[in-house]
Amino acid sequence: MTDAAPAIFVALEQSGFGAAIRRSAWLYPAANIGHIVALVFFVGAVAVMDVRLLGGFAATAAGPLLARARWFAVAALAGMAMTGFVLFSAEASHLAVNPVFQLKLALIGAGLLNVALYEFIAKREVDKLPPGAAMPSRVRMAGLLSLMIWVAVAACGRSIAYF
Amino acid sequence: MIKVVAIFATFVLLTGAALAHHGWGSYDAAHPVTVAGPILTSRFENPHATITVKDADKTWTITLAPTSRMSSRGATEKVVAVGQNVSAYGYPSTVQKDEMRAERITVDGKTYELR
Repeated sequence: MTDAAPAIFVALEQSGFGAAIRRSAWLYPAANIGHIVALVFFVGAVAVMDVRLLGGFAATAAGPLLARARWFAVAALAGMAMTGFVLFSAEASHLAVNPVFQLKLALIGAGLLNVALYEFIAKREVDKLPPGAAMPSRVRMAGLLSLMIWVAVAACGRSIAYF
Repeated sequence: MIKVVAIFATFVLLTGAALAHHGWGSYDAAHPVTVAGPILTSRFENPHATITVKDADKTWTITLAPTSRMSSRGATEKVVAVGQNVSAYGYPSTVQKDEMRAERITVDGKTYELR
């Protein structure tokens, strides 16, 4: 426990919930494994979507492909959020002040903002494109940004333990 | 399409290279220490069990292993309970003062490997 963190994170770590995670022999490792498994599904689904936005898999119409992959991505993201909260609660005060964890959260925010911008600005247009149609450059930019951001998020997650 | 795959592969390789160096970077393996004395506090918790030990001149915080590994190696919660006399061999932290991570501990003449 570190007093350098805001009180809410100290309270979360010291709560019965935080203590139960630390005291259990299997909860923390299970959340750890679940987080990685969810990550595998998430990055897989996101990579399919991003490659399509970048112009790959062009023989398949973008709309249905993106819709199916989106379902996997949202489910996997929910799984990552739940398992991540378990991992975070066990060491909340330390993680809250960890610079790599803070960078990771900022990158997740950037990734979600990128998704929101795509959904509001470009989704309707992309869903109407026939197979083989060229992607608008701003759509390709969104796909490239997404790929870069989410891979960086994963790299940050793995790096937290080293800072 | 080839360009897309190349960009993605470059990312995977770059991040992979950065992570291939696996280790506890913030501990000084070149200067191992042995800390011996009574256990003052004990937390048998994940992700790592920790104890504090009163050495001859100061109190050390000693990072042990995850609880499931501790148990499977025989270093149960009772073995590292408050009041036990322990000898811990490990590497001092380069970040946190008077903290070390133990490679192995000895309690009651029995040695437990933690890595």
